[in-house]
Amino acid sequence: MRALLEDVLASLRAPALRYADIRVTTTSEQHVRVRNGEVDTLASTVDRAAGVRVLVGNGWGFAATSDVGEASIRAAARRALEVAAASHIATTETVVLSDVDAYVASWASAYAVDPWSIALDRKLDLLFGATEPMRSDARIHQVSGELFAYRQEKTFASTAGSFIEQTTTEVGAGIEALAIDGGEFQRRTYPNPFGGDHHAGGWEVVEAFDLAGNAPRVRDEALALLAAPKAPAGRFDLVVGSSQLALQVHESCGHPTELDRAMGLEISLAGGSFLQPSMLGQFRYGSELVNIVADATVPGAIGSFAYDDDGVPAQRFHLIEKGMFVGYLTGRDTAPAIGRRSNGTVRAETAARIPIIRMTNINLEPGTTTAEELIASTKRGIFVDTNKSWSIDDLRLNFQFGCEVAYEIENGRLGRMLRNPVYTGTTPEFWRSCDGVGDRASWRIWGLPNCGKGDPMQTMRVAHGAPVARFRGIEMQ
Amino acid sequence: MRDERDSYDILERALAFAAATEADACFASTDHNISRFANSSVHQNMSELSAWLKLRVVVDGAVGTASTTSFDDGELARTAELARTAARHSGAVPGFAGLYRGGEALPDVRTFDERTAAIAPAEKARALRQMFDRGREHGVLFAGSYATGASSIVCANTHGVRRYATVTSSDATAIAIRGSDSGYATAVDRGPLDVLALGDEATLKATLCAGRNEALEPGAYDVILEPPATAEVLEWMNMIAFSGQAFEDGSSFFVGNVGKRVLGENFTFADDAVDPGFLPFPFDLEGLPKRRVALIENGVVRTPVVDKLYADRLGLPPTANGWSLGGGEHGTVFHGSIAAGNATREELIRSTELGIWVTRFNYVNGLLEPKSALMTGTTRDGTFLVRGGKVVARLPNLRWTQSMVEAFSSIDGLTRERRRVGAWYNAFGGTIAPVMKVRGWRFGTQS
Repeated sequence: MRALLEDVLASLRAPALRYADIRVTTTSEQHVRVRNGEVDTLASTVDRAAGVRVLVGNGWGFAATSDVGEASIRAAARRALEVAAASHIATTETVVLSDVDAYVASWASAYAVDPWSIALDRKLDLLFGATEPMRSDARIHQVSGELFAYRQEKTFASTAGSFIEQTTTEVGAGIEALAIDGGEFQRRTYPNPFGGDHHAGGWEVVEAFDLAGNAPRVRDEALALLAAPKAPAGRFDLVVGSSQLALQVHESCGHPTELDRAMGLEISLAGGSFLQPSMLGQFRYGSELVNIVADATVPGAIGSFAYDDDGVPAQRFHLIEKGMFVGYLTGRDTAPAIGRRSNGTVRAETAARIPIIRMTNINLEPGTTTAEELIASTKRGIFVDTNKSWSIDDLRLNFQFGCEVAYEIENGRLGRMLRNPVYTGTTPEFWRSCDGVGDRASWRIWGLPNCGKGDPMQTMRVAHGAPVARFRGIEMQ
Repeated sequence: MRDERDSYDILERALAFAAATEADACFASTDHNISRFANSSVHQNMSELSAWLKLRVVVDGAVGTASTTSFDDGELARTAELARTAARHSGAVPGFAGLYRGGEALPDVRTFDERTAAIAPAEKARALRQMFDRGREHGVLFAGSYATGASSIVCANTHGVRRYATVTSSDATAIAIRGSDSGYATAVDRGPLDVLALGDEATLKATLCAGRNEALEPGAYDVILEPPATAEVLEWMNMIAFSGQAFEDGSSFFVGNVGKRVLGENFTFADDAVDPGFLPFPFDLEGLPKRRVALIENGVVRTPVVDKLYADRLGLPPTANGWSLGGGEHGTVFHGSIAAGNATREELIRSTELGIWVTRFNYVNGLLEPKSALMTGTTRDGTFLVRGGKVVARLPNLRWTQSMVEAFSSIDGLTRERRRVGAWYNAFGGTIAPVMKVRGWRFGTQS
């Protein structure tokens, strides 16, 4: 493979060729879903792709093929040059690439038990074992459980002299109980909604979720929500659980710190960002307790890798430090706009897509207060957790989140369960109101395998670490 | 794009390797080109040749699927084994009467336009350059995308069903930006697009009421929704209300309401892939002929959309909405069509004493309370205040939270003219909708 890719790169003929790279990916996925005692989905996917990216003058060209044979890769290289020539017609911006060293490397994420080595019977037994006991009440209208296995093998070669091979193996799992009583409809999930939680690793990760052990609680909480009072409207001190706060970090910090969004390059689909380069180092994003890092080196997290799709090594750096906005997620073609080198966050879903800035693992760093102390020091508030609904404006300022569950907090104690909690606000006001960040014991990293961005849409695997945290005077709807 | 013979050869081999009493398969190959631009400069320019095959086998009434992007015999055999293994581990699907047996003619619809298939990247770049230059004359910069594609779609099953179609699409969006103001226009067609006209439309929205900015207190206002706004709401309705899955799991407001009028009499919504003025396509991926299926007719709930498996399971007439063999949604509207009214946009505005004219929505989410289709989102790229029957000022982007059951029961008027709107996940169709005026849409805080 190396000889072929390097030969294709060497064969690119364009007088103004400044840079080129080739990626080849094989992405294998398995999805198993059971629902109400039946196998709902049992599907396997193998996707192969090759993509050639060239920069000729200031014109980018990219061509991809799902046929990864030599002839098709060579043809894609020729098409990439043609596309770059077309770009020249309608390109007015000057492309500056930050420096990159040449790397020859091979890397694979760790796992103990290959998820593909586990027989389907065993996977189904685990899911049925977790979901069937949840059907013990007629108001439980639907129970479901899902397992995912994902592996991507990626080869990268560039005219910068790099040749990098990476393999990522990941798994995900989750269960759900859906309760209906009259017109009331409630959903409770574990460990995370929308397909569960996802981590780099093998079958050992799935077993550690203990889906069956959590199933009775999921069922009971779904039923309890049917009769729970509606979460009240008004302003409350809000204690946000780790799972929900992870999504808050994703939407209100991860996306607005993508430099391509800030530069307007993604405005047509995903939108822009309120965090403009002139605000770097100057803007108070949150309270002094708020420290958010991008860390592509966290073992076991699905936003981790060794090199990004520009061939830049994975890194850890602050986006928000003591509440101040200090960093963007960048790539080689955007970092020079703020006078910096790429911090290695450019990735593509597969080799069939162009690499763009993506979140890695964007983590709210833990504080020193225990979760219990946060609750105990809250006189009147609401605890919310597990996302149900999410929406944020195109600049990532005005947000609204609905959660699966909430509890009253009265005089430092958790009280009644509340249904349909919805909170809203604007990003800086929300993070500036943070007056308590939970400690390491309340911190957990959550895998989100479905972050959408780009056109054609690319789904990226990212993760977010978050503790429990408290926010003062948040509007509930 | 593979030709008919090549495509059928791959499918026939896949079905042979399936070695099952029942199997079906779909093969698609696409030549897709997209130019993305920002700050009136093309910054991403892509060409992709892709092909995929999905194979579904049925073993003793149980279903398994597998897909691949490689089509040599070894890979097809491996894919078939994966699908068989999956089926062997599944239980029989209750009520499933088997795969489609054919015998019905396809609608005669035109799906392919040679002119679109022939558009080269350089031709698109020249059109965009013209749009950028004209924008500069008006002090606007453009962001957006311009995509063209040609695909061949083949599906077949072991009962002898054989379907083949070629399809083209042009899809473009333009956001015109002038300072903090922006305007949006979008179009999708089987034939080529007039990108320059699209840019002009976006520019008009970006410059309308320039310098006249007002704000509104949160509250319920009459709203005039352009088709891209309505289309985004309908995408969520597809997930939470229209699909076979949502009907079976009980989350859809259709449940218990089939045959009942639960929306306004002036609201009719159909899946219509045979309308020549829309984005026609002759069959779904299970091979069933497309026809117009009314989901809501004059406010009366008629049917969710289903694939063959869920038609059998739920005891519903088939609607030909199987767009992913074995997919979890079990029925998707890919050709959403809201019936036209008899008004003009100008009449809807003129009849509004105090209201909001919305170009498009951003980041809608429909999972708040599915039973009432309670959704939230914000406005974007052109939100205007209507006062005394006139568009008088630009408004900031606004958050809204609104039940669609309530909204579609409160429609004050619909235009005769309808516009097509594409969607990133839908290569076969999109939404066609009139401009719609709704009473009492609930707006909250501004962005």
